[in-house]
Amino acid sequence: MAITDLELHSFVRLPTIADVLQTLADRHAASQKTVVLAGGTDWVVEQEMAPPHKPGAELPMVVDISRLSDLQTIHLNGNLLTIGAAATYLQLRRHPHIGMGDKRAALLARMAQDLGALQIQARGTLGGNLATGSPAADGVAALMAYDASVVLQSVRGERTVPITEFQTGYKKSVRAPDEIITQFQISLPTHYNWYWRKVGTRRAQAISKVALAGVAVVESGQIQRIGLGMASVAPVTAALRNTRSYLCSAPLHKLTGAELDAAVNSDCSPIDDVRSTRQYRAHCARVVVREFARSLGAPV
Amino acid sequence: MSQGPSQHLPTVGKSVPRADGTPKVIGTARYVDDLPAMPGELHGATVRSPVPRGILKSIRFDPNFDWSDITIVTAEDVPLNTVALIAEDQPVLAARHINHAYEPIVLLACADKRRVLLAKNAVSLDIEALPTVLDVHESLKNTHTVWGTDNIQKRYLITKGRADTEDSVSAIDAVLAECEVRVSGSYSSHHQEQLYIEPQGVVAWWDESGVHATGSLQCPFYVHKAFLKTFGEQPSRIHITQAVTGGGFGGKEEYPSIIALHAALLSKKSGKPVRMIYDRKEDIEATTKRHPAFCEIETGCDKDGKLRAIKMRVLMDGGAYLTLTPVVLSRGALHASGAYEWEHARIEALALATNTPPNGAFRGFGAPQTIWAIERHIDKVAAVLGMDPLELKRKNILKLGSVTATGQVLHTSVAGVECLEKARAVSEYDRRRKAYSEKQGRIARGIGAAVFMHGAGFTGSGERYLKGKAAVDLLPGGRLRIRTASTDIGQGTETVFRQIVSDAAQVPLSDVDFAVPCTTHVPDSGPTVASRTVMVVGSIVEAAAREVGDRVRKEQQASGGTFAEAADRLLAREGEVTSLLQYSPPSYIQWDDQHYRGDAYPCFAWACFIAEVEVDRETFEVTVTNFWSATDVGRAINPTQCRGQIEGGALQAIGWALFEELVWDKGIIKNPRMTNYIVPTALDAPPFHTVLVEEPFSFGPGGGAKGIGELPMDGGAPAVAAAVEHALGIPMDDLPLTPERLFARSASGAQT
Repeated sequence: MAITDLELHSFVRLPTIADVLQTLADRHAASQKTVVLAGGTDWVVEQEMAPPHKPGAELPMVVDISRLSDLQTIHLNGNLLTIGAAATYLQLRRHPHIGMGDKRAALLARMAQDLGALQIQARGTLGGNLATGSPAADGVAALMAYDASVVLQSVRGERTVPITEFQTGYKKSVRAPDEIITQFQISLPTHYNWYWRKVGTRRAQAISKVALAGVAVVESGQIQRIGLGMASVAPVTAALRNTRSYLCSAPLHKLTGAELDAAVNSDCSPIDDVRSTRQYRAHCARVVVREFARSLGAPV
Repeated sequence: MSQGPSQHLPTVGKSVPRADGTPKVIGTARYVDDLPAMPGELHGATVRSPVPRGILKSIRFDPNFDWSDITIVTAEDVPLNTVALIAEDQPVLAARHINHAYEPIVLLACADKRRVLLAKNAVSLDIEALPTVLDVHESLKNTHTVWGTDNIQKRYLITKGRADTEDSVSAIDAVLAECEVRVSGSYSSHHQEQLYIEPQGVVAWWDESGVHATGSLQCPFYVHKAFLKTFGEQPSRIHITQAVTGGGFGGKEEYPSIIALHAALLSKKSGKPVRMIYDRKEDIEATTKRHPAFCEIETGCDKDGKLRAIKMRVLMDGGAYLTLTPVVLSRGALHASGAYEWEHARIEALALATNTPPNGAFRGFGAPQTIWAIERHIDKVAAVLGMDPLELKRKNILKLGSVTATGQVLHTSVAGVECLEKARAVSEYDRRRKAYSEKQGRIARGIGAAVFMHGAGFTGSGERYLKGKAAVDLLPGGRLRIRTASTDIGQGTETVFRQIVSDAAQVPLSDVDFAVPCTTHVPDSGPTVASRTVMVVGSIVEAAAREVGDRVRKEQQASGGTFAEAADRLLAREGEVTSLLQYSPPSYIQWDDQHYRGDAYPCFAWACFIAEVEVDRETFEVTVTNFWSATDVGRAINPTQCRGQIEGGALQAIGWALFEELVWDKGIIKNPRMTNYIVPTALDAPPFHTVLVEEPFSFGPGGGAKGIGELPMDGGAPAVAAAVEHALGIPMDDLPLTPERLFARSASGAQT
């Protein structure tokens, strides 16, 4: 293990987002590597598993953005929920519009409650977990269900990318090396049904075998708007596009389990690994989607 | 200070706080890796085999790497290259033959912790791979001989009744043929990793007084014995000390000898202290685990459920070297017929070698594997008979006067029926069993029970050979000090011993000290294993304390003053006041090691565990919703700690049943990390409803305490499996019961 190498890195905390962006830009221009740390619940674990650092080789500089308060704010303006990229899962659980109070975005709090355990929830962030790109990230599945927008910033300016277009492959994304994720924007429906189900290895400190986040607006017996995000069934968080289309394609009472299963199958490509099997994951993917559809009134 | 017996408030039976509790909670306890660095100290590391079997052709040290500050040890540097235990088949470092993945080959040390890791990567091994044997069935075929002449590491045969004859197979088959109902089945159980919180670690150094090792370990005298053999030093020049130890569960019984030898070899060669601390991955990969077992059982009984005969074969996977396998197999065989009386029995147990890391001691020591099999089998018999399984168990359970498979007549401290009835009542088993047998929805409920006993102390004449010793010293001011090699590894030995001594000598608890177990300063009490610490060593400590207390009080009566004053006078006059005693087992114990017959254990602890589960019939996730138990411990010295042992052991068994699974690929472990070797968390623990039953054992300390350490590991898995079977209606004969396996066994899985 190379956890001993941690002390070799230079760690910096900078006072403002502007300073962070300038540093990233300068280092990128000089072909120097930089790691942006926003909690460390993925990156530190990856270091522990990495081979020992060879003397002389360049180590990335670590820029910790987890203490930048501008990146931690969460606010609701009308129906627009804005979540700072470095807001922790514990903040989500305790926020008056998410886990407490009017619970307008209760799905996020419910997801956060199942994530890791309290210690991880206090450190881990939505932005960090999206940036590191694990397809098992529960938080990313939840953002996908809300069809969140990802706001990226660099010295070159700001841009907004739909969450479904952010990941481009296993641990790959559209984020440029000089960019950081600053916030997520979620347009909350006034009334909606939500669903969260994590099939994990145990009740805490579990990495999902399958997790489904769902958001649906149902009117007159038909789904008008649906958002889905599924963890651990594909190289990236699965948006389940075919499943979404199928669920919106007809009144709920006309949906069938067999067709729904077929749509889910076409959206997933799970694998065998030490945590679970391809067959079990595919089965659970179908089970949880059916459960969500049933909760909306579909006879599946 | 206590004036005499009249003022002593008994502590035995009271849940006094743990002596080691505060320092562990506030973080001042010093585990081995917390010990301050010694001057010049080096960090040690181990280069291990990447393949499960082969011939080591050469070791190459990268010429581009700077080796100037690296100490290198290979097999050539080992004075006598064997790890002293039962056999001498395991080398300290592999010289030529490699028999399992992760076998140690080269040791490295460097002052710079990072450089030693880089050095590891600069060593390459040229190994000619050989065909491997990776499970007991392959091993039994002996297509490839990987141990001895036939791969068989040990065999035991236990016979009773008509099977007790030369041709025991024909005899038991004949008895079975006569039985009204015959049931057969096979039951398998898997590896389990101890996963103590603190990985293995040691610091070793040499000086003018000899060789020293301080580490996380259960049995300092095992390490002493290993050093004696490998280094050929005088016993008095070997000093092994236990550091504060963060859990062991058997995993720190025999393995610490190896890591300590490695550190001492590096220290000898470098002339500097060497610290070796395994990380989690290395610990899971290289150290011992629970023996997987495959059991075949055939039984015969009457239509009314009266059990008559059992024929059983146990195959245990010993791994690449013998280590403690014969003893594990022995305990497995002696518990194989369960808590039931059989007129006729034939139990054959074999340990087979495989090219996997040696399996070793783990809480329960072979018994959980065979109790898993027999309990599942009795449930199957009940299903065949159409009887309630607990009723069938009640009908056949061993009672006072019953005779076990080895011919042991149970004449004292037998509480199987009482445990069964108490657990049955407190769990409302009968009502729940009936209710959950009705048609179920998506969330299916089930309830199941396991009834079992566990022999306390060493098997047969073990204690007689061992001659365990312990001492109690008188200190100035009337304080007492316990000197024993029994280690507190988190299970509470120190606290319980202090309670026993406090009552026996009639001194306040706060006046009793517990000496750090160091082979130079404490007598050899025998190892900290086999549920023997309280029952066996505790009784020596009790007798020694009584003796010292009596001497002080005699002085007090003769010349007056307080207990403390009398103690000081005695010390001034005699210099040293100590009682060093040796264990003498109950005289009735008769054991025939040749024929495996007689009193297998001085007594047994008894229990009935009942698990209630909910199973999601779509995802196959199992939740243990309630866990009831009634456990006969003889006498609970410290009821809270006693409950802690029972509930912790039960949870460890639940983990074995539902979560834990080592994933192997051609002899390599694919999940050697806490993130993917899944043990239950506090949130996975069910509500425990724990009833303590006290059926005293007259030779136990504190008024009759028996061993409790291992027993709770025995019954959790079969109770949970019975409950899952009840909920799903699918046979649960093979561990583990992970959702993936339940899914594969279910109809929906079969269709996929």
